[in-house]
Amino acid sequence: MIPSIGHASILVGLGLTVYAAAAYLLAARGGDPRLAVSGRRAVIGSFVAVAIGCFAMVISLVSHDFSVRYVAENNASTTPPFISAISLWAALEGSILFWALLATGWASLVLHRYRDRYRQLMPWVGATLATVNAFFFAVMTWPGNPFALTSPVAAQGSGPNALLQNHPFMALHPPLLYLGYTGLAVPFAFGIAALATKRLDEEWLRIVRRWTLIPWTFLTLGIVAGAWWSYEVLGWGGYWAWDPVENAALLPWLTATAFVHSAMVAERRGGLKIWTSALVIATFVLTLVGTFLTRSGVVASVHSFTQSAIGPWFLAGILVALVGSLTLLVWRLPELIGGGRPSGTVSRESAFMLNNVLFLGLTFAVLFGTLLPLFIAATSGDTISVGAPWFNTVTVPIFVALLFLMGVGPALPWGTASWGTTRERFTVPLVLAVLAVAAALGVGLRDASSLVTMGLAVFVGGIMVDEVMRGARVRARTRGEDPATATWRLATRNRRRYGGYAVHLGVLVMAVSVAISSGLASDRTVTLAPGETSTIGAYEIRHDRLVVEPLASDERVIETRAEVTYSGPQNGSLGTALRDYPNSPTAIATPAVRTSLAEDLYVTLLASDTATGTVTLHLFVNPLVVWIWIGGAIVGVAAVFAIWPERKARSVTVEQPQRAPSVTSVEGA
Amino acid sequence: MRHLRWLLVPIIVVPLALLLLSGFGRDPREIASPLIGQPAPTWTFTTLDGDTLSTDELAGRPYLVNFWASWCIPACVDEHPVLASAFERHGDELTVVGVLYQDSPADAEAFLARYGDAGYGHLIDESGRLAIDYGVTGPPETFFVDADGIVRARQWGPLTDALVDERLASIGIGR
Amino acid sequence: MKAWLPAVALGGALALVAMVLVFAVQPEPAPTAAERTDALAGELRCPDCQGLSVADSPTRSAQEISRQIDVLVADGATDDEVRAYFVARYGDWILLAPTSPAAWIIPFAVVIAGAGALGAWLIARRRPAHQPKRGISTEERRRVREEAEALDA
Repeated sequence: MIPSIGHASILVGLGLTVYAAAAYLLAARGGDPRLAVSGRRAVIGSFVAVAIGCFAMVISLVSHDFSVRYVAENNASTTPPFISAISLWAALEGSILFWALLATGWASLVLHRYRDRYRQLMPWVGATLATVNAFFFAVMTWPGNPFALTSPVAAQGSGPNALLQNHPFMALHPPLLYLGYTGLAVPFAFGIAALATKRLDEEWLRIVRRWTLIPWTFLTLGIVAGAWWSYEVLGWGGYWAWDPVENAALLPWLTATAFVHSAMVAERRGGLKIWTSALVIATFVLTLVGTFLTRSGVVASVHSFTQSAIGPWFLAGILVALVGSLTLLVWRLPELIGGGRPSGTVSRESAFMLNNVLFLGLTFAVLFGTLLPLFIAATSGDTISVGAPWFNTVTVPIFVALLFLMGVGPALPWGTASWGTTRERFTVPLVLAVLAVAAALGVGLRDASSLVTMGLAVFVGGIMVDEVMRGARVRARTRGEDPATATWRLATRNRRRYGGYAVHLGVLVMAVSVAISSGLASDRTVTLAPGETSTIGAYEIRHDRLVVEPLASDERVIETRAEVTYSGPQNGSLGTALRDYPNSPTAIATPAVRTSLAEDLYVTLLASDTATGTVTLHLFVNPLVVWIWIGGAIVGVAAVFAIWPERKARSVTVEQPQRAPSVTSVEGA
Repeated sequence: MRHLRWLLVPIIVVPLALLLLSGFGRDPREIASPLIGQPAPTWTFTTLDGDTLSTDELAGRPYLVNFWASWCIPACVDEHPVLASAFERHGDELTVVGVLYQDSPADAEAFLARYGDAGYGHLIDESGRLAIDYGVTGPPETFFVDADGIVRARQWGPLTDALVDERLASIGIGR
Repeated sequence: MKAWLPAVALGGALALVAMVLVFAVQPEPAPTAAERTDALAGELRCPDCQGLSVADSPTRSAQEISRQIDVLVADGATDDEVRAYFVARYGDWILLAPTSPAAWIIPFAVVIAGAGALGAWLIARRRPAHQPKRGISTEERRRVREEAEALDA
């Protein structure tokens, strides 16, 4: 019964979104405005429908209803309820269902919020969002039915993928990531609307910037959560492997970030209409390409599902979206050209444009590296790999250049920078950076990338602190506030700028942590009999005993666990294990991580001998890793701060005597 | 001249479409084998039955080397009868050699007891050296070597009756 | 701000860069066998993982490849010979980075071309030199000053 309700809700959702798209389209082309109202209700209805569908799936999972094929493939009677519930997004069909929930949620939110405004844009926005959502409902109706039944009904299911059961982050990473992905359809819809109505103006830029930043925040948190999860779960001691699906999440993030920056230039002086609308389109198309790469089985990856009928559907979706939006853009091209002239060659504006060149360069590089094996296989039949060594070599210099720009850009004036200004703003931070690097060299740090990043971090951080202090000082002086209040009041009244600084601060923290954790990490592999010890870094590790037993939470899983005591900067005991899941041929590593602010002690069990109790352990000391996650959190909080609506300015009446202002000197222009 | 800008659409869309389309129908995990056309690796190993087998003994006759494991389900289960049938039909002119891939002899024996032992030998590749020498990324993989000791074909993934006949033809069996 | 500070800062930065270059150019001591093995293991792909290097991977096949690298290095093989050994068995796929120089040059070329195009665009589109900057000329400035002083008086 429940699966039928679920299936029916998808069909209802399909009908509603198709209707909404048609209604909105008619309304957009000069029809009855009540059509728009009807369309909006249909979109909200589709959200309710898919919510019911998700609810039905969760119930089926938690109640272990193996008549549903998705449940039989991803659940077992021994699966704990929490894991059952989050298995909604564990595999292909369920994840599309979840995606549709979030996508219709965003659409409903945006269409409802702006129902009384932007009357020319909103019908097009609604039509676009409804069409995109209709696509996902169509995929769920035909090639990827989550409620497909299986008969005969198996007595026991396969159970969830072993990797997905190991860690609570499985509950966090996909929802955050999907909120980001699905949310990026909103700025795309506004982009289509603006191109269709020829209203690419300042107002459009403001809306699209806001509705890019909101999903961007989720996407950032989702990517960081994914990195954290793979670090805690996969056992190789790293957090980013340039896996195709990781890259797929990064690509729209890069273009969205580029857009947010060029939008500021466009807002300031006009122009850049083609560039900004192209970025908005590219971001959305890249979310589709990303989800295609994950779901089509066309590239091999940790995440990828095997090839199924869904792949071609997604490819068709990408091509339709791309052809449609490109055609619209090219059609409007003559009207979009021009507007606004760039100011000086060295200015904040040119720094932002260079930022865009670099971000787009990164996007190209990551896309190139991800698709090159596919290209080579298609053209010559050879198989090659493009892995971490290539990606690191190619992207790190670009990231370093971006880091430098991040400091320099906001400190440059919008107009042409004079030598005097530059000297004044950059000298002290430069001095501090030089001193910091010299100190590091003196202390014995020789790793080139760590030194460069540290120097840049001090330089950039110094400029930022200087910027904030300047403003706070002026405000404190003129209003008699103490520095702390002045800074806070300044920040809350200029959320965009100070939120931006705080986001950059978070990025800085992450950049330094990434550089130092990769450059200064140490590891070794040791084989220990019970009672033997080894050292790594400042730690002494002692292997106590080897334990083999079923998991308390799921008795079908056999855990082989090395119990270890460690002493050093941190003291305690840990268990690092290999788990044998019934549906997985190889044992799954469950590393133990002991985190402190300075470093992580990370231990993976590689092999064990149950007869002697001897274990082979891979030991790591990874410095500053926790600061990567802290930096990510700072970026998230800062982004929320930046997006949060400012209090409307209060109007103040000032009594002024009527006389001509006194002018005693005129500043040179 | 104004209409030249429309070329932008196919210029961007067509290459992307072709590239992404090309991925369908191919398994991205399957890698091209550099052994094809090259002399097959030489080895000496102990079989499950306790005998020793080496490539010297196989010289002069075509043979196939099949990497499998008891945990490789359902692929190795599916191709097991295909190999048994090939051995039965061509056993007088073809040598069939199985190799355990990251598997224990006990589990392998249990597999054979359950799914049938066709009678050909299975090498115990304890350390995994043989798998590396053949460039195996995961079971099942099968290499077809002709009478001169040159690798002529490689099947990545499970064999089917049709596929095995095709591969055997490349080493001169069953024509 | 002291006039000499910028010069000192710039000088200090350049000195640091020079030091780093000197360090980089100095011949490093020849890597030990263990270091070579680690480096090579980082370049080779683990056959039954998803994109991890042999150095990072816990699987049996990765450990066996690692052992094999040890043996080869101990027998006196050069780095290139070790790579060729595995490429002969797995093909170019076993190398985590493509060997073709084009694969490395293309991304940098694109970025440099983009930056170059941006520079050209900025220079071409900035206000031409013969047009006065928006604002007032020196002559007008003098007149305004005179008028203003007259007002104040």
